[in-house]
Amino acid sequence: MAKIKKIVVERNLCIGAASCVLSADTVFELDAENKAIIKLKGGVKSADPAEKNTLEDEAVSDDTLLTAAQSCPTRAIFLYDEDGTQVYP
Amino acid sequence: MEKVKYLIIGGGVAGTTAAETIRQLDPAGSCTIISDEPYRLYSRVMLSKPNFFLEKIPFDQIWLKQEDWYAKNNITLMAGRKATTLDTAAKTVTLDDGTNIAYDKLLLATGASIRNWEVTGAEKQNVFYLHGLDDAKQIIAKVKSAKRAVIVGGGFIGFEMCDMLRLAGIEVTLILRKPHFWDPVLDQHSGALIEAALERSGVKILRNSLVKEVVGNVAAQGVILHNDIMLPCDMIIVGIGTYCPFEWIKNAGIQVNRGILANEYLATSAPDVWVAGDSAEFNDLILGEQIQLGNWANAQMQGKIAARAMCGEKTEFRLVSFYVTSGFGITIAFAGNVRPAEGGVHITRDSADGNSLSRIIIKSGKIIGATMINNTKELAVIAKLIEKSANMENDKDKLSDPLFDLKTLL
Repeated sequence: MAKIKKIVVERNLCIGAASCVLSADTVFELDAENKAIIKLKGGVKSADPAEKNTLEDEAVSDDTLLTAAQSCPTRAIFLYDEDGTQVYP
Repeated sequence: MEKVKYLIIGGGVAGTTAAETIRQLDPAGSCTIISDEPYRLYSRVMLSKPNFFLEKIPFDQIWLKQEDWYAKNNITLMAGRKATTLDTAAKTVTLDDGTNIAYDKLLLATGASIRNWEVTGAEKQNVFYLHGLDDAKQIIAKVKSAKRAVIVGGGFIGFEMCDMLRLAGIEVTLILRKPHFWDPVLDQHSGALIEAALERSGVKILRNSLVKEVVGNVAAQGVILHNDIMLPCDMIIVGIGTYCPFEWIKNAGIQVNRGILANEYLATSAPDVWVAGDSAEFNDLILGEQIQLGNWANAQMQGKIAARAMCGEKTEFRLVSFYVTSGFGITIAFAGNVRPAEGGVHITRDSADGNSLSRIIIKSGKIIGATMINNTKELAVIAKLIEKSANMENDKDKLSDPLFDLKTLL
């Protein structure tokens, strides 16, 4: 699999099932609206697309990110590689 | 007779994940999925979400696989067909149209069925259940014209349907058989937080109530309650639980209890037959008991683990189950076993403002489950504590302090 560079949570699709949080709790958490947000460096939480090197846990494995995305029951997590190609879904 | 190497009964997330995993491990072995619904894999979780019902997200988002995914992966999907007979000695399955299929390895991913509402008149039009896509389509159509709805049952489906109907501007009465919402899984305080949120948004709740009869000609026009009060309505949604439809599996001599019994590798009592998903009553190594769990995460992971065993890579199933939902500005999260049969002790972590609380369930000194109202932030750490099976006997007092950081116990 190509290396993951960018992570996007499609907020409209997110239903807060928390699958991503349980698969990768260093990367995802649910916000006050019960939607997944991404944990960035410096304690920042963001609903926007995030580059992997800006994550609080930038060492997270691609496998963990893929597992988190695959576990989402509404396929709300999109992963892109270094060429901008969609890796998942 | 046709023979396939891997035969999967059930086209939901457990069965489809199993097929996908099999294909990764055995690129050439023939693999067939039998599904009693005429559809490819869709998101059963999305089915009950208001945004889907109210068509705020495109209907096609429901599909989790492209139409050509099966052919591309050399997986045969026989949709709209039902397995009726199993012969574990001859290793064959018979379908409702008389077709016989022989198998090398069989996976039962048969799921749960909706419990029928045993009330006079329940067969009338506009009485809905929410199980599959066809049910959802009917409800979506009805919501456009309905004015007054009755919801029967205080669980996830009842909660989510109340939310959806209120967002659609429909008058809603929720009928609970018990004194509070989700009794006895939730305590009175947790139930009260949910009920307050429902009532704030205009849902009328009738507690300790039963419907005696559905009235109307062809279509439901109202319900008569246990106290003979008549409640007019033009739609009824019933969510009173599920059961595992396993008669044909039991008839094959496979051991069953509430679900289909399996060990920690998800193997059933019959050779070369595995089970995954809502129908599995398996040996949960983390909880240390035989348990049946109905949720997406459990079904997906079990599909994967059973498939590995079918391909000769025996792996223990280990997962802390969870389910989260939200609506009316409130979130409800469950982790692990929230209905211990016996011997569970509940420890309440109540916030100072009274708006959120977690209840941690301890059995034999270990955390086995939790319910969280407006406290989903504790889900990940509680799931880890359950997985760790650490002895909490000396930390019980700390657990009840909502300011105590649970992470320090990891």
